[in-house]
Amino acid sequence: MYRFAKAAVNLTGQAARQARHGSTAPPDFHQKYGNGLMVGGLVFCTAVWGYVLTQTGITWNLSPIGKVMPKPWREPEE
Amino acid sequence: MNKYCKLCASNVTQRWFECRMLASRALRLVGKRAISTSVCLRGGHGVAKVEDYTLPAYFDRRENPLPDIRYVQNLSPVQASLKEKEKGAWAALSADEKIALYRISFHQSFAEMNQESAEWKSVVAGIFFLMGLTGLLVLWQRKYVYGPVPHTLDPEYKQKELQRMLDMRMNPVEGFSANWDYENKQWKK
Repeated sequence: MYRFAKAAVNLTGQAARQARHGSTAPPDFHQKYGNGLMVGGLVFCTAVWGYVLTQTGITWNLSPIGKVMPKPWREPEE
Repeated sequence: MNKYCKLCASNVTQRWFECRMLASRALRLVGKRAISTSVCLRGGHGVAKVEDYTLPAYFDRRENPLPDIRYVQNLSPVQASLKEKEKGAWAALSADEKIALYRISFHQSFAEMNQESAEWKSVVAGIFFLMGLTGLLVLWQRKYVYGPVPHTLDPEYKQKELQRMLDMRMNPVEGFSANWDYENKQWKK
């Protein structure tokens, strides 16, 4: 215990003085193009699905509540 | 004269074999690959060829800080002379030389091997791209597979259908018709 305390007191802070320099390694593929690819992918996805959902004529049969006004339906009986 | 062959693990007379163990030069072997090219002939059988994957390998792993072998196996003349200098007093080495020695022994530093990568960005981009491709697939399906939309989904038909549902009082308590204000003939706010 005493030895531990001695070592702790002896700490000159050399480890604490380690300066953060950041990596000097050249950027890899993901660092160079990652953000661009993500944005591009998102744009492509939203564009395609936006078109598919609205312009292709697919019927979604959404709920009429609050949207559709009713219309008389009875045909005159012969 | 009898010699003990470490590979065959037996006593074989020298006249019967020639056993060379390069690896037995232990001191020179620190950090180098143990390429045992011994051919112990015993009854005409040889030793199996040493495969690359059986030899000690180099890994940059956090949990195994000191790999079995040095990273650089074949030293250039500059590196070899540096290794000789390393045998002397280390205080005589400059900082660059120390780093060069480190890079001979190791491939990536701990900081380098532990650093996080930006790979997730490419992965997410790939996800979006494949989702977009799926959308194109659905588009093709709509155009070439689906038949015409039934007349029961025309806007006018749906309006009439709605009136009929309200006339029937469908789900009047909590469901469909509960949303319709029959007094004022409008949807409840």
